[in-house]
Amino acid sequence: MQILINGLKTNRAFAVSSFFVLLLIAVALAAPLIAPYDPLEAVMQNAYLPPSAEHLFGTDKLGRDNFSRILYGASYSLSSVLLLVTIIFAVGTTLGVLAGYYGGKVDIVIMRISDMMISFPGMILAIAVAGILGGSLINAIIALTIVTWTKYARLARSMVLKIKKRDFVEAAIVNGGTSTHILWKHILPNILPLMVITAASDIGAMMMELAGLSFLGFGSQPPAPEWGLMLNEGRQQLQTAPWLMIFPGLAIFVTVVIFNLWGDALRDVLDPRQEE
Amino acid sequence: MKKAAKITAALAMMGLLAFAAAGCGGDDSAKSGGAKDTVKFGVTNFADSLEPTDNFFSWVVMRYGLGECLVKFDDKMNLTPWLAESWSISDDKLTWTFKINDKAVFSNGNKVTADAVKKSIERTFEKSNRAGTFFQFDNITADGQNLIIKTQNPVPTLPGMLADPLFIIIDTSVTDRDYAKQGPICTGPYMVKEYSKAKAVMEANPNYWDGKVPFKVAEIPTIDDPNTRAMALQSGEIDMAINIASGDLQLFQDKAKYNISELASLRTVLAQINMNEGRPCHDPKVRAALISCLDRETYNKVLLKDTFITGKAPIPPSLDYGFDQLTDPNAYNVERAKQLLAEAGWKDTNNDGYVDKDGKNLELDFIYYSGRAELPLYAEATQSDAKKIGIKVNMKNIDYNVLDSIRQSGDFDLCISNILTANSGDPAVYLNWYWKTGDPQNATGYSNPEYDALSDRLAVEFDPAKRRDLMIQMQQILLNDGAGLFFGYPKTNMVSKVTLKNADIKPADYYWLTKDVAPAE
Repeated sequence: MQILINGLKTNRAFAVSSFFVLLLIAVALAAPLIAPYDPLEAVMQNAYLPPSAEHLFGTDKLGRDNFSRILYGASYSLSSVLLLVTIIFAVGTTLGVLAGYYGGKVDIVIMRISDMMISFPGMILAIAVAGILGGSLINAIIALTIVTWTKYARLARSMVLKIKKRDFVEAAIVNGGTSTHILWKHILPNILPLMVITAASDIGAMMMELAGLSFLGFGSQPPAPEWGLMLNEGRQQLQTAPWLMIFPGLAIFVTVVIFNLWGDALRDVLDPRQEE
Repeated sequence: MKKAAKITAALAMMGLLAFAAAGCGGDDSAKSGGAKDTVKFGVTNFADSLEPTDNFFSWVVMRYGLGECLVKFDDKMNLTPWLAESWSISDDKLTWTFKINDKAVFSNGNKVTADAVKKSIERTFEKSNRAGTFFQFDNITADGQNLIIKTQNPVPTLPGMLADPLFIIIDTSVTDRDYAKQGPICTGPYMVKEYSKAKAVMEANPNYWDGKVPFKVAEIPTIDDPNTRAMALQSGEIDMAINIASGDLQLFQDKAKYNISELASLRTVLAQINMNEGRPCHDPKVRAALISCLDRETYNKVLLKDTFITGKAPIPPSLDYGFDQLTDPNAYNVERAKQLLAEAGWKDTNNDGYVDKDGKNLELDFIYYSGRAELPLYAEATQSDAKKIGIKVNMKNIDYNVLDSIRQSGDFDLCISNILTANSGDPAVYLNWYWKTGDPQNATGYSNPEYDALSDRLAVEFDPAKRRDLMIQMQQILLNDGAGLFFGYPKTNMVSKVTLKNADIKPADYYWLTKDVAPAE
């Protein structure tokens, strides 16, 4: 924690990007307060209105206010992507640490499953899984978890293997430390920063993949105000009502950029080896 | 050394780029050079195979200019000769005689005799279980060019039924063909060169019996997504396209570049309502409430930008079956809808915004497919309007190929599709399919003896005025019972470049690439 606060003070990029991340989260949380309309309320007489003072981002095919939908979409997209990254992080790291620490059969089983998972192209496998489970946000999250956990597992395992040979671990073993104790006190704190950095810089990519699945119809279902889904709905009016694609696209773009910059800055702060 | 490597790499890169650019250029010149001989037609396609007796695949056989029937509909849905030059009926109303055109030949050069037609029709009856729902024949005999069909019961609309693509005439003497990929030997202006669901290449039939075939090659790519289809037409990738979506039609208003052929079709967008025991819509009041809460006029006028006519009755107003004199008891009225739900015992007791009864919310599964752009829109609009009176509509997007099986299994509450109402020139078949007791297409549990009785009378009625009258009564019964949800009637269109002529959409939905589509002079 102290490192983070120091980082805010000394690393300007981290301070700025953190500010934007907080701003995004604030917007997402405050959506019900800021949004001028109910995102699901369809006033069909007002369909396809171009952007105006009344409807900042225009209205969509059912006359819903695009601006309000994008604001609500922020909380929808952010919460789902944070949930997704948390799950992947937890599952991947746990399995990787177990594989790396215990070795032997545990390692073989976990890593061979992981090998199998990465022998498919990720997005295609996710589409297949989401397609079999049926389109819904939860299923999209499950699909992406299945595809992505291996990355964290491999990373965690390789770091555990390295740390296991360090003197302080050997010392702990000689002193009769239990496995749980060693894992929690000696190994996890040492691999955590790098795992967190990986997770943070993955937020942007995961957001794109979730939006991608929604765009293809395997993620959120109508009438949810999800950005990927909104893009798909707007696609049909690409030439006649372009605001329906531009604004959700912009929202995804801005969010992904902010999280990517933040992930980079966080790495600079947390990982001392990167310092010049 | 390093520098030399860099320069080499850069040169190689430039070479590659130049090569790629040359490739593009070559493509362009081929496009403009071959334009006169080739027509490119962007379509929607549901057929994995060209076996005409399977599913509704015969439609594609006809749409692509491969197959022809004995009889054809003109622009006003009147019957006109095609392979049959004339027909007549005996005094006892049971024997029809069709005179086959003496000039007609199959694409392999074989003459179309009455015997060949007889075998083709018999094959259809043998292979398709749908044939029997049109009519039942006693026997068919061939005498030179005269085909004599004896029916068990009087069938007033038999010539119109034989105009349905299911009864495409094929050469059954050819047995060594893979119908799925090569298609049958037919009599149309084009023959299959290669066929897959994604793309068909047709070539001119050298033996075509009815004039000169205007194009040597017709390429028919399947572009199911309506927006992609519009863009393909804009970019010049295709010369003509079927059914440009409502939102995109305004992109083709420039008369110097495009022809838009548009007309009120014979189609109805119908959501079947499952009213079997145990389903929420079993209760007529729930059905009435559901229909009443939908602002169908806005759907069609605003959301679909007036490319659809507002729905009310089973048969669209483009056919003269009393559209204006029918009254819809469930016209748009939100207050009435709320009241009906309350009367049926549905109330929102837990304040979640949805009405419930016995602890269960009123939820309806709405099955739709996205091959036609209007269907998801209707579904979403329904979801939104139904929510206003507390009905929760769950949208289920399915693949078109499983639509029929879901429809017949009854695993839905609402199932929307865009249906041709008069594929035999007369809506009687349609009215029977979806609402007559015991018909396989009618898995909704709808059954009304009064309706069935009228249907039985209609089956043997020859007088057009009386037929019309019966069908008006039948429609009114359906409306009173809330037996279906009629969203709207599409105007269909075909948009073509001005370099083509006669690329016109016809009321019957299976005349697409005809012998008349030709280069403009």
